[in-house]
Amino acid sequence: MVQTRRDFLKRTAALSAASYLGMLLPFNSAGEALAADDTVWHRGSCRLCGTGCRLELGVKNGLPTALRGVPESRTNMGFLCMKGMLFWKVMNHTDRLTTPLYRAKKSDKFKKISWDEAMNIAADKFAGAVKEHGPNSVAYYGSGQALTEETYFFQKIFRGGLQTNNVEGNPRLCMASATAGYMTSFGADEPIGGYADIEKADCIFIIGSNMAEAHPVIFRRVMRRKLDNPKVTVINADPRISLTSRIADIHLQFNPGTDLALLNALAYVIIDEKLHNEQFIKDYVAFKKGKEESCDFEEYKKSLADYTPEKAATIMGGKVTADQIREVARKFATSKGTLSMWTMGLNQRKQGVWANNLIHNLHILTGQLLKEGADSLSLTGQPNACGGVREAGGLCHILPGHRPIEKEPLRNQVEEAWGVPKGRIPAEPGLHTMAMFTAVNEGKIKAMWINCTSPVQSLPNCDLYNKGMAKDDTFIVCTDIFPTKTTELAANLVLPTAFHFEKTGVYGCTERRSQITRKAINPPKGARPEVEIIRDWAALLAKKLNDPVITQCIKPFEGLEPEYALPKAIWDEYSQKLTKGRDNDLSGAPYEVLEGMFDGVQWPAPTAEYAKTGGTVKKFVRGMDPLAEKLKTDDKPYQFYGAAHPDHKLWVWLRPQANPAEMPDADYPFYLSTGRIIDHWHTMSITGRIPELLRANPYAYIEINPKDATRLGIKPGDMVEITSRRGTNIMPAKVYEGPIEGMVFAYWHDQHPDRMINKVTIDAIDPGSKQPEFKICACKIKKVSGPQALKPYIT
Amino acid sequence: MVIAGFVVQCQPQSQQDTVAALEAIGQVEVFGADEKGNIVTVVDAESSADLEKIVKRMEKLEQVLTVGLTYLNMEDEAEKIALGELSPDPFPRKPLKKATMTT
Ligand code: SF4
Repeated sequence: MVQTRRDFLKRTAALSAASYLGMLLPFNSAGEALAADDTVWHRGSCRLCGTGCRLELGVKNGLPTALRGVPESRTNMGFLCMKGMLFWKVMNHTDRLTTPLYRAKKSDKFKKISWDEAMNIAADKFAGAVKEHGPNSVAYYGSGQALTEETYFFQKIFRGGLQTNNVEGNPRLCMASATAGYMTSFGADEPIGGYADIEKADCIFIIGSNMAEAHPVIFRRVMRRKLDNPKVTVINADPRISLTSRIADIHLQFNPGTDLALLNALAYVIIDEKLHNEQFIKDYVAFKKGKEESCDFEEYKKSLADYTPEKAATIMGGKVTADQIREVARKFATSKGTLSMWTMGLNQRKQGVWANNLIHNLHILTGQLLKEGADSLSLTGQPNACGGVREAGGLCHILPGHRPIEKEPLRNQVEEAWGVPKGRIPAEPGLHTMAMFTAVNEGKIKAMWINCTSPVQSLPNCDLYNKGMAKDDTFIVCTDIFPTKTTELAANLVLPTAFHFEKTGVYGCTERRSQITRKAINPPKGARPEVEIIRDWAALLAKKLNDPVITQCIKPFEGLEPEYALPKAIWDEYSQKLTKGRDNDLSGAPYEVLEGMFDGVQWPAPTAEYAKTGGTVKKFVRGMDPLAEKLKTDDKPYQFYGAAHPDHKLWVWLRPQANPAEMPDADYPFYLSTGRIIDHWHTMSITGRIPELLRANPYAYIEINPKDATRLGIKPGDMVEITSRRGTNIMPAKVYEGPIEGMVFAYWHDQHPDRMINKVTIDAIDPGSKQPEFKICACKIKKVSGPQALKPYIT
Repeated sequence: MVIAGFVVQCQPQSQQDTVAALEAIGQVEVFGADEKGNIVTVVDAESSADLEKIVKRMEKLEQVLTVGLTYLNMEDEAEKIALGELSPDPFPRKPLKKATMTT
């Protein structure tokens, strides 16, 4: 029987779905038609959230034409969400940037210029700024979507070449509190376990995360776990009932910002009912009440007296009862394995680090850690916030390999690896994100490179910082694939770059797993991979500054073709010289090893043989983590070797409930919270150009509780003005039982000036992590008109 | 021609009804199902817009818990986009703003 291409594709589609289920179909993939198919499949990662789903891009005649998941992958078992499935549709979009664009003044029109001219201008401006105003007058602002090779290389040139630690990135806006939480509670950044715990957990505690929209494939795993084992308890704690709440057995809905009281109350019940793990505490735990200040279990217990379930329920308001708190605490402590997952709801807070500490406290007290199904797992928002920015030196206070900048011997290790003189890397941390954009406002940053991110839309209280970015005091280079609000308002020079699958490099996802994506198709003519741009720019800088040390920084990469050899050499330098011997040891995972994996390698992975098994599923556990054996200090099964805790203990912290920076009052009576919608990625410059995704959610709307809506005379679809002390938005109302009474909620993807919610959000920061409190501020709302026809808007 | 493979999830007890309801939607073919309520489903749609509509109908079926896409082939559309014959924009847009205009 002749099989048409249509039949063939349908069978292929069926086989792909069946393979996820281990189901056999009466035909197989070894058929004749398959052999004749000219689609070539290229394996890589999805780039549209931090889950790290593995997929294969089908390329036919040089064009991306198809996509499928990788069933063998331990991150997604083959499943993808709609966003991940469709991202490749933008690769040939007519809006792709393909020529360098330049304007001397930001009020001018852009002119097309050649790459040679563009690189010369970029080098002139940065060299000029350094000569005239010193190294700290230049800055790099990067992204959790940049490849590790790109972040690493940029920071190498800024620190080792230009001698500034003004190296930051948008993960400061999403992950900084999680990092500080892990460092202060466990002594080392990043989670102990990973996704594998989902299928073993009996109690899943989801707080401050709408994973059904922000991490759909992780949510799918949770849902599958629950469907397969109805006895598994899913608890969702959130001021807003979201799509995630659908599968929750218990939903705790409370006033925004009161969850520190909840977490302390859970600890209270655990101790009060003697559900804590005494032996675990005795063997592995220290108690802390402030920097350098220790206390004991009794003092900690006493500090919880203010958080009896009754008192906490009163603080939290909403619908939470004391009995519910008790029930949750018991489930948390007594289940065979309890897995907590959270994301921006805890991190994007003025008390973000404390909130992270308090959730770790619960795991430490109960020993719900280090065993199957138990972990305190912070979900990453972006695909490479962990791998690129946290691990490879993408923030102002850390060098590659989790090295704090203020430690001279660690700086010297990096200098030695780079072959640059001792003392070349400045000892002082650079400016963190909000300080960096404040310095732009003050005209102190003279030249800035913004890579793969759009701060004009994504900074909190953005109007304030956009004023500075729009001024001609700061020369701004943007590297990106599409025009964004930032290229439009702030850039002097726009350099078109290659997109995902048009270049080669590594992403490291939530669970310490590094995964490679190899180039599968050519970028549009005129677009270049960032690593090539950085190298060429640095070569010019070396000349213009007459500085041989900059030349030294690019020496290992000279002459290498940028599609594979160049990123490979960068990864080799980073993984072999700078992760070796560190806790994120990836020296066993060169490209050759990563390319052989369906998914990737979880560090520590000090040898290739070990890396090929997938690496370390649980950190700190002897027999599972090679470093736990190597660095052991006694015979106990768990070894907390994290450099931040010299006592090798886990730390339980005394952290009181504390209000957000801005509380509702008579003038601004509502809480405003913001979040990510399922179909869109961040500022929508990619997903807004995919018809299916744009149509699904063409513009933002404001969610209002029906009781508030009735009180204010707001009906579904009415246009509503949302005003804070910083700015105003107008968008349609969605009236539904989502946000708790007294709270409104908006998605933040919309680029339209009327609906860019970050004009309204607050720029207060956590004093420890410097992460802004996107999640809570005070606002007022009022109806301005009935429903109006709106148009989607993309810059 | 757009071909997509899905794992549709339903409660195990409603599997037969779900299969029947899925097949009642034109252009949907069921290739198999397991005892956990997973259904191997293929959609053969005219275009990606058509696929979108069919997926929405599948999602709206009462027994359906999730519709998980596992494979997508849009080779005809991809070629047209690359040749400039098809604009992937769903809504007419103005030309790029002044600030991003090339001159
Ligand atoms: S869950 Fe995240 S990583 Fe996975 S396919 Fe969706 S967007 Fe991509």
